[in-house]
Amino acid sequence: MKKIFIFAIATLFVQSVVAQKLDRSQRPKPGPAPVLTFADPVVYKLSNGITVLVVENHKLPKVSATYSIDAGPITEGAKTGVLSLLGGLMNEGTTTKTKIQFDEAVDQLGADVNVSSRGGSASALTRYFDSAFLLMADALRHPSFPESSFEKLKSQSLTGLKSSERSAKAISGRVVNALAYGVNHPSGEFETEQSINSITLNDVKAAYAKYITPSRGYLTFVGDIKPEAAKALAIKALGDWKGTVLTFPVLTKVQNPAKTEVDVVNVPNAVQSEITVTNLIDLPLNSPDYHAVLLANEILGGGADAKLFRNLREKHGFTYGAYSSNGSGRFQALFKANAAVRNEKVDSAVVEFLHEINVMRTEKVSNDDLQNAKNLYNGSFALGLENPARTAGFASNILINNLPKDFYRTYLQKINAVTADDILRVSKKYFGYDNARVVIVGNQDQFVPGLKKRGFVIKTYDKYAAPVTTTVPEAVKN
Amino acid sequence: MAISGLCLSAFAQKVKFTEYDMDNGLHVILHQDKTAPVVAVSVMYHVGSKDEEEQRTGFAHFFEHLLFEGSDNMKRGDFMKIVSSNGGENNANTSQDRTFYYEVFPSNQLELGLWLESERMLHPKIDEAGVKTQNEVVKEEKRLRIDNSPYGKFTEKIFARLFEGHPYRWQPIGSMAHLDAAKLSEFIAFFKKYYVPNNAVLSIAGDIDVDQTKALVKKYFEEVPKGAPVVRPVYELKPITKEIIDTAYDANIQIPAIFAAYRVPGMKSRDAKVLGMISSLLSGGGSSRLSMKMVDEKKTALQVAAFNYSLEDYGAYITLALPNNNTPLNDLLKDIDAEVTRLQTDLISESELTKLQNQFENSYVSANSKMIGLAENLADGYTFHNKDTNDINEELEKVRSITREEIRDVARKYLNKDQRIVLYYLPKK
Repeated sequence: MKKIFIFAIATLFVQSVVAQKLDRSQRPKPGPAPVLTFADPVVYKLSNGITVLVVENHKLPKVSATYSIDAGPITEGAKTGVLSLLGGLMNEGTTTKTKIQFDEAVDQLGADVNVSSRGGSASALTRYFDSAFLLMADALRHPSFPESSFEKLKSQSLTGLKSSERSAKAISGRVVNALAYGVNHPSGEFETEQSINSITLNDVKAAYAKYITPSRGYLTFVGDIKPEAAKALAIKALGDWKGTVLTFPVLTKVQNPAKTEVDVVNVPNAVQSEITVTNLIDLPLNSPDYHAVLLANEILGGGADAKLFRNLREKHGFTYGAYSSNGSGRFQALFKANAAVRNEKVDSAVVEFLHEINVMRTEKVSNDDLQNAKNLYNGSFALGLENPARTAGFASNILINNLPKDFYRTYLQKINAVTADDILRVSKKYFGYDNARVVIVGNQDQFVPGLKKRGFVIKTYDKYAAPVTTTVPEAVKN
Repeated sequence: MAISGLCLSAFAQKVKFTEYDMDNGLHVILHQDKTAPVVAVSVMYHVGSKDEEEQRTGFAHFFEHLLFEGSDNMKRGDFMKIVSSNGGENNANTSQDRTFYYEVFPSNQLELGLWLESERMLHPKIDEAGVKTQNEVVKEEKRLRIDNSPYGKFTEKIFARLFEGHPYRWQPIGSMAHLDAAKLSEFIAFFKKYYVPNNAVLSIAGDIDVDQTKALVKKYFEEVPKGAPVVRPVYELKPITKEIIDTAYDANIQIPAIFAAYRVPGMKSRDAKVLGMISSLLSGGGSSRLSMKMVDEKKTALQVAAFNYSLEDYGAYITLALPNNNTPLNDLLKDIDAEVTRLQTDLISESELTKLQNQFENSYVSANSKMIGLAENLADGYTFHNKDTNDINEELEKVRSITREEIRDVARKYLNKDQRIVLYYLPKK
């Protein structure tokens, strides 16, 4: 009887919902906020220093593992490209398996196994995971470095460089970092034909001995696996591994330009120009400004509802999308605002970029804008929990960045406490206006005259960030 | 009307769902998963670039932009603001065959998602201001994705020849001249014809209560009027009987590429699945036949790939290679052809077949790991596999039943030189 009664109430409820005419102008209110729960991963240390984290999640019959070596930024100098060659070469066979045998073993499991100069990853169906993991460990510990593979990868690197030679996007990616950090900085240096050609197999072996090690290593398991099983597997595969002890690098600080400058790279074939407004920032995760900067960036250019997108795309139609982003972490990072804009609208777009940045630095954001950004962060945090690897990321971030244990548990609390004054203060501090760089990579004939008319002083660079000394040709003027 | 609880076996990845039709013809699919406080709300409209008039290409994709412009109850530009200010994400995409809109929200915002999608279906704002702005935006999208993108024009070139006589011969991005010429009344007519509930699937996956969700779906979608049935022409293409050779020039590249493309049956055919396996065999993973031979052994290729660009009416089976060390394109083509011939002559080994099955299972499990992916896969099953939403659960068994003989026979049937387009893709000086 009781059951039937409950059923009747439920039916009544449904009917009452549909019986009255729906007032569609009233947006529905949210239900009660879901309780966000995430378990801490199981963490332990192997005797050789590797930190192991396990997030158990049995929803899908699959396990993945990643090994990451926290070596920090590595300066490669004249041999830039050696780490990428090392990573490639570690996938070219081990002392007991040729590349073909190794690949065959991985593919036979339907698994994904990759190693690089920063670590490795293995993911597979649960029933094949142990085998896949052992293959990853074999590639990390016993690469065979065949000479013929070295030559192959070198020639592929050279061809690869050539393949992106005319891509405005690829050139912009290289030049923006090179100009912001300087070409001698690990984040500013880049591969060239010359640097690749100078690398020998011995250079690669030396880099392996120096950087592929259990020291500062983090091994994360996520998925259909028990912590005990993961630990046993980690010990079996990596427990007796020895290697160089890494010291974390210390880098000299780089300065932003004294006065805002416009740096142009000419790519005549480009139909769109890549515009990037950028400056260096210092924003460790434990900075008191951290949460405010995230929100300020969100309001300026975090997505389709932010100021840049609304202005450059929705109002002016200059671009398919305009966004900004802020780096963070233990080293200097970039604040960037960027868009790919059709060549003839570049000068107008630059003005709008700088305008929006200036507004952030001089005007208090509205309560609505701030609340909306907070809501977005609260939502994203919940959505992120769909990915079980996220909680493992929380735990390793806390360890690597030396954060308080409750950093992610209090994350939303701190986001929600940010005020409009905080936003104004951090915008002034972190978003460059007077000492930024505007890097434009595209068909310069179509925008340099316009920029000059608007009073910008232009510096020109080649595709490898070297200053072009000749003045802009006569034909381009006005 | 409702079918629920299709959990027929012990497979962990068996996807349970409830589905039903509303009186206005809207097909509804609900999947409950309470592991994270997330809900994905999506609508798949069965309209894509193949439904466009020859003189109005790009319409379907243009709509994807236009339908973010607001509604009777939403100011211009408010759509995205409402989503993000309520903690959600949203996007949309258009193919030759369908247009897919979605929001992912914290699960307490399910009702808002339904309101947004029902506003879009019932009375979106389609006016001159929106058309004008989105016209510029779409042009920028074309510049970004195609004109300025290395190798961005190969599908356009290949499809123009491979699908002569079928709307697949143009790309979803369409012609900018057509969009410029279109009148507002044409956009409104397109909406009335295709954006009707009886041509759509509402697919919801995540942390939901099924009965409550059904009531909410009714609340918001019931008043959307049913439209005229959408009738699609059936295209019978003449077979290609002689190899077609074409050349494309691209200013964004330095390294040329060679493509060979074959017309194959559409995505619901069993042969399409067999071709998917052939792709894995040829270029899936380091031990695949083309990668091993051309990238590792001969070192003639920087990259090789084989894939089935599978669409509703037909598919394009495409092989491609980029040379390493200035290897001539014809040498690359010869090596690819030799592997195709081998496939047509000799059966693959038993162990290769097991490998392909394992690879498929691995990617299948991953494809259903997020709610938005699951919502789309369920809607795909209903839209493109004879209204069989349960296709998602049958796919693995189907692939496992493919034999070595079938793989050989499908290669023999479709991958022949006199049935293909060869495209030389060269740097523009």
